[in-house]
This record gives sequence, structure tokens and C-alpha cells, in this order.
Amino acid sequence: MRTALVICVALFAGQAMAADGTDPDWPCIQRKQPHLSLGQMWSGPIPDDRINQLAQDDLIGNLADRLEQRRMPIETAESEIASFADTSDNDGLTALMVAVLERIEPDRTALIRGIARYGRKQVQLARKIEERREAMARLEAAASPDFDAIDAEEEALDWDQRVFVERQKSLTYVCETPVILEQRAFALARAIASHLE
Amino acid sequence: MKPLIVIGLCLSVTPAFANRVFVSNEKGNDVTVLDSDTLEVIGTYPVGNRPRGITISPNGSELYVCVSDDDIVRVFDPQTMEELHTLPSGPDPELFVLHPSGNPLYVANEDDNLVTVVDTRTHQVLAEIPVGVEPEGMGVSPDGKVVINTSETTNMAHFIDTDTLEIFGNVLVDSRPRFAEYNHDGSKLYVSSEIGGTISVIDPSTQQISHKIEFEIPGVLPEAIQPVGVRVSSDGARVFVALGPANRVAVIDGATDEVQDYLLVGQRVWQMAFTPDEKYLFTTNGNSNDVSVIDVEAAKVVKSVAVGQQPWGVVVAPD
Repeated sequence: MRTALVICVALFAGQAMAADGTDPDWPCIQRKQPHLSLGQMWSGPIPDDRINQLAQDDLIGNLADRLEQRRMPIETAESEIASFADTSDNDGLTALMVAVLERIEPDRTALIRGIARYGRKQVQLARKIEERREAMARLEAAASPDFDAIDAEEEALDWDQRVFVERQKSLTYVCETPVILEQRAFALARAIASHLE
Repeated sequence: MKPLIVIGLCLSVTPAFANRVFVSNEKGNDVTVLDSDTLEVIGTYPVGNRPRGITISPNGSELYVCVSDDDIVRVFDPQTMEELHTLPSGPDPELFVLHPSGNPLYVANEDDNLVTVVDTRTHQVLAEIPVGVEPEGMGVSPDGKVVINTSETTNMAHFIDTDTLEIFGNVLVDSRPRFAEYNHDGSKLYVSSEIGGTISVIDPSTQQISHKIEFEIPGVLPEAIQPVGVRVSSDGARVFVALGPANRVAVIDGATDEVQDYLLVGQRVWQMAFTPDEKYLFTTNGNSNDVSVIDVEAAKVVKSVAVGQQPWGVVVAPD
């Protein structure tokens, strides 16, 4: 049991610290990308000040608000975009793309920050587990062991370890959440770009 | 009557040019098979856990798949997709390269810093070659005399003599090298660096870097540009580089090493494969779960085809 725990903590702590070797605050296998950029999903016109201004238009803004919501099926989004394209031009479509990204990007950035916090908490917890393990070893090595204290420490250790392992299991899903937003942005970009002339 | 004859001719001619396209789906644990002519999905077949690297024998009779979580290479009949046998690969095989003759197979084992050499006829391990930390990319010279392995952590391209199975040269490249590809006459070796964001163009005769290709895409943040897969046209004139989460494929002039264009494909573009006639180049897009089809001559994306979950590798059957 003891050996298993040590291996387990060492493994997970390593993973929690820097899976990609570039950012100690980033626990995911995927390389950290703090921000999305328009060119990752859009090869249409590059927006200038005028287009960025147009993106603040109420009609475009309201449509972008609806499109961003993931509860709207992509097929519905595509038909809403098609209706918009009927009465718009390349400028309007580019502005809609800008407005969509202006909404998805802050959500994604907040998620990325959340994942970094999650990773840091795991590192802290791994450290705490290690300290508890050392404390137990000290208690057990005492000339006249305090068995009540050992039991208490063991219970606390089990609990911390359980939390750690549960959180680590969720990490895969946590790390995939930014991808879901990226997929939405990309699918909307494809739908909008399909109407460019 | 005349239109019917025309249709009849088309029908009878078309199948001769169609090749099967095999796409490994890392998360779907299967392989999607496409028709290179109709660009339609023929079928999807389970292949084992976490399939990544995929290649086919020169005569088209055996399809090899690195099933990373099964720690093995599975071999399939490309027509029926029935499993024929397995090959020992060492732990966590990710990428491999087949000798131009079809034998042996050189497999990168990410976890134990080895390249495993496997005989595709006897199914035996011929050798294990110690290389750098986290070996990944594998390339082979057109004459089959040199195998290249890149190690992600050591940041090197290792030159391995296929006769002695010993490393005779190391080239330090930029951070996290992922893929190695020779041009047609073996005069250039392209090594992609995912974190470094570059392609090192290496002169294999001197094992020196002759040029570094850098990428800059308007409207794309530099950290999204992560070069992975590389493919060179059979005349060496054009080089295609998959740029990962930039969602672009760079088109490079093989003579000048200048970037000519960036094609928007799908999300997290990883690996690529030409059809034998080089009319099309297929790209695997891991996050949009599709394959983009590039018209090579026009350097344009002509279609995206939905495949399985997290497409990773792709290979096209020979004629």
C-alpha cells in the first residue's frame, strides 16, 4: 500500500506539473495556447477598423450572441448564417466572424486560467500528501508510537489521496473543454466563410 | 444514346484510378477508409487501442498500424480490413517507417528511448537501437541506406546506418522535433520542430543544417504554429508542412525553401499523405475530426470529409 501510494503520487505530481515541459502551471497533455486567433479559422478578408466597428452593430452582435451558445445545434446556426448572408456582403460576414470570436475567446481564456488553477491545486495537494507520508513515517519510527496519531494521519492521508486521484481522473475532461470551444468557433467560421464571394 | 456511352466510359475508367485512403483515429480506436476518387467513406473498422502511425507495404498487401496503447503493431488486409497478424514493436509505438523494399519496419518507442527494427516477413525483432529521449519522428532515405529518428526531448535528428544499425550522425534541431522526411533524390532532409516552430533543412551528406524555414501567418498567434507532418512531392519541387493548431498547411518551394502559401484546412492538422499520382494530398485534422483534401496542382483545399474521432495518421494505397 505504502509503495503503491508513493509511486502514484510521484507519477501524478509529475504529470500535474508540466505535461508539455514548457509551462509549470499547465497540467494538460495538449500544449497550452492562451489565446485563439482569427487566422486559425478564417482565410477571408483581414478585418480593419471599419470591420471591427461593424462587428459592434446590434444586428450582428445579437446574431453572434445566439450563434455562440452551444445549445444551438450547428445545423440551426448554419441556416441562421445563411439567412444573414442573403442580406449581407463580405464585410458583414467578416464582421460577424469578428463578433463571434470576440464572444468565444474570453470564455476560452477564462477556462484556460481555470485549468491552470486546477493544475496548481493538484501540485499543492501532491506536496501535502508527500508531507503527510513523511509525518507518518516519523510517527511510526518513534520509540513508543502514538497509534491514535498514526490512525488520524493515515485517515487524512487516505482522504487527500482520494481527492487527488479523483481530480486527476477528471483532468482529461477538464483539458478537453477548451477544445470544445475551439471546435464551435471553427465550425461557425467554416459556415460563415462558405458564403464569402 | 451518346450520353449513355460517355457515362459508361467514365464508370469503367474511374475505378482503375481509385486508391484506398486509410486514416487512423486516435480516440475512435478505428481506421476510416476513403476512396481517393469519389472522396467518400468506404467504411470504418476497429483496429485496437489508440492507433497513430499508419503505413502500407509497397505492394499494397499489408496495412501496418501502431496501436500505441496495445504496445504492438497490428497488420491488416487493406481490402477486407481483417487482422492478419501482429508485429512486436516495443512499448508505446507512435510512428514508424518502412524500408523502401518493404522490409524491415523501424519503430520509434517513445517510452524507452529505442528504435525497434522488426522483420515484416518473420515477425521477429531484428534489433533495438538506443537513441535520444522520447524518440518520435522516423524517416528513411530514398535508397534505404539511412534511417532518421528524431528525439523530442534530446532535440536531435539521429542518422542510423541501415546495414550496421548504428548511429553515425546527430544533428541538433529546434525544440521537440516531430517528423523527418527526405526529398526525392535524398539531397535534403526536412525535420519539423513542433515547439520551435521551424523546419530544419539538413544536407544529409554533411549532416549540417543548410536552412531553417520559419512560419508567419497573418492573424495567427505564433504559439499556434506547430509544425508536425511533412510531405515532399516526388520531384522535390513542393514541400507541404502541417502546422498543427494553426490549422494551416504551408506550401513551400522545394528549390528555394520559401513559403508560398498557407492553406486553411481543419483543426489541429497533424499528418498528410499524397495519392500515388500526387493529384491530392490528404490531411488529418484531429480536433475537427475530418480529413481535408488538397488539390496539389492548384494548391487549394477542395473538400473536407468527416472521419472518426481524432484522426491522427493517413496513408494511401499504392497503384
